[in-house]
Amino acid sequence: MFVGALYGLLGLGLTLSWGILRQINLAYFALTFLAAYLCYQLSTARGIDPLATLLLIAPGFFVIGVALQWVFARFRVSPFNSLLVTFGLTVIVESVIQSIWTADFRRLESAYGVAKFRLGVLYVPAPELITLALSIALSLALYAALRYTDLGKAMRAAAEDGPMASAFGVNRRFIALALSGVCATLSAVAGVCLALSYTLAPAQIYAWIGVVFAAVLLGGIGRPLGPLIAGIVIGVSEALTMALTAPSWAPLVSFSLLILLLLVRPDKA
Amino acid sequence: MLELKTAIVKYGAATALWDISLTIRAGELVCVVGPNGAGKTTLINVIAGLHRIASGGFLLNGDDVSRLPSHRFCGKGIAIVPEGRRLFASMTVRENLVLGSYCADAKRQRRETLERVCAMFPVLVEKLEDPAGALSGGQQQMVAIARALMAQPRLLLLDEPSLGLAPTIVLDMFRIIRDINAEGVAVLLVEQNVAMALDIARRAYVLEEGRIVAEGAPGELTSQPHIRRAYLGM
Repeated sequence: MFVGALYGLLGLGLTLSWGILRQINLAYFALTFLAAYLCYQLSTARGIDPLATLLLIAPGFFVIGVALQWVFARFRVSPFNSLLVTFGLTVIVESVIQSIWTADFRRLESAYGVAKFRLGVLYVPAPELITLALSIALSLALYAALRYTDLGKAMRAAAEDGPMASAFGVNRRFIALALSGVCATLSAVAGVCLALSYTLAPAQIYAWIGVVFAAVLLGGIGRPLGPLIAGIVIGVSEALTMALTAPSWAPLVSFSLLILLLLVRPDKA
Repeated sequence: MLELKTAIVKYGAATALWDISLTIRAGELVCVVGPNGAGKTTLINVIAGLHRIASGGFLLNGDDVSRLPSHRFCGKGIAIVPEGRRLFASMTVRENLVLGSYCADAKRQRRETLERVCAMFPVLVEKLEDPAGALSGGQQQMVAIARALMAQPRLLLLDEPSLGLAPTIVLDMFRIIRDINAEGVAVLLVEQNVAMALDIARRAYVLEEGRIVAEGAPGELTSQPHIRRAYLGM
């Protein structure tokens, strides 16, 4: 369930940029890990509270997102090319991470790591609860923003018929820049959550891609609540699979669910 | 209020419109007729700011707008009812109407305009929360017109508003267009239904193969044998 919340958080930026900007942005995974390592660095070397590092990382990542979109718009990158370009970016970021922090495993030691909350009979580690809370809060906030604010409606309209949205005064350039910034900021949040509960290694960037993609597709592209709900479904079914059979069977679950969905409701994905 | 001066419009290397000179005065109802592929939709898209002219002049209320970005045209008082309606289909009717008043000036009076538009199209009131794509063709056309009116335009562009509608609804549509014009909104109407369009227009332009081949009051145009034969079947 809690790993599902992280799937949801990772998928949130991906689904929004896919659905609204028509970009399949693999670089969010790399940005997430970059944020995780920055969080690790700032809190280990400087002794800053891991959650407080978010205040430093998030604005920087917003700027990265805006810059990324600026480049994409400048070179008119098509949806398929966006996949290739951002995969390239991911490899570059991975190498940068590896050259700075080496390929060794890194583990953030913080007060959150040992703290536990009691929920009824269960003891829940604090990082996982923080991840779940952030994931739910951000998914709901984005859902509400897209549904109830003028800017959110403009984003949905621009995704559906760009020129028509322009004709009614929607500045598409501005909207794309802002949304890309928001998506990159989301990856910063996901990165901090990742650093709180997981051991980091550069090559693990790729381990997350498959299952998060499954969550995005299961949840419906462009739907802000989709990845969270689908992520939790996948997380729970993985946990059940691990408990009932062997841990090595867990990855089977998300993809079986995905294939099943594609077979039954191909229009949804 | 609007003036195109010897405007040339291109799609890539191909020229779609040659030497277009066209004026629309405040409150006027002007129609453009011509065969399919003559460039009528291109002309409407140029005036809506969706496509730029390659050369020539384009003035709105005396300002040069030939290099103005698309999203600024709405604020200049232009709203479009595009061919095929092009509603935001997955969004509700209300959301479509709200987006119509996305521009700052229109946003301030959103509630009042929404009430006025609902009074104009009473059938839409109970459909406000339905997805726009689920409505019938005639209702979708009403939403498209209502969305454009939400922008409080001074010039309304209508591209084939009667296309694909039942004859009785077409009559309604023309009555609505005439009502809107009677409230002082200038209208540029592109229509297949030439007889009905000429009937309500003050002036008309005939567009053939990307050029304006005739213009004038409907009476003058219908007295020309060529136009009677080509467009009115007489």
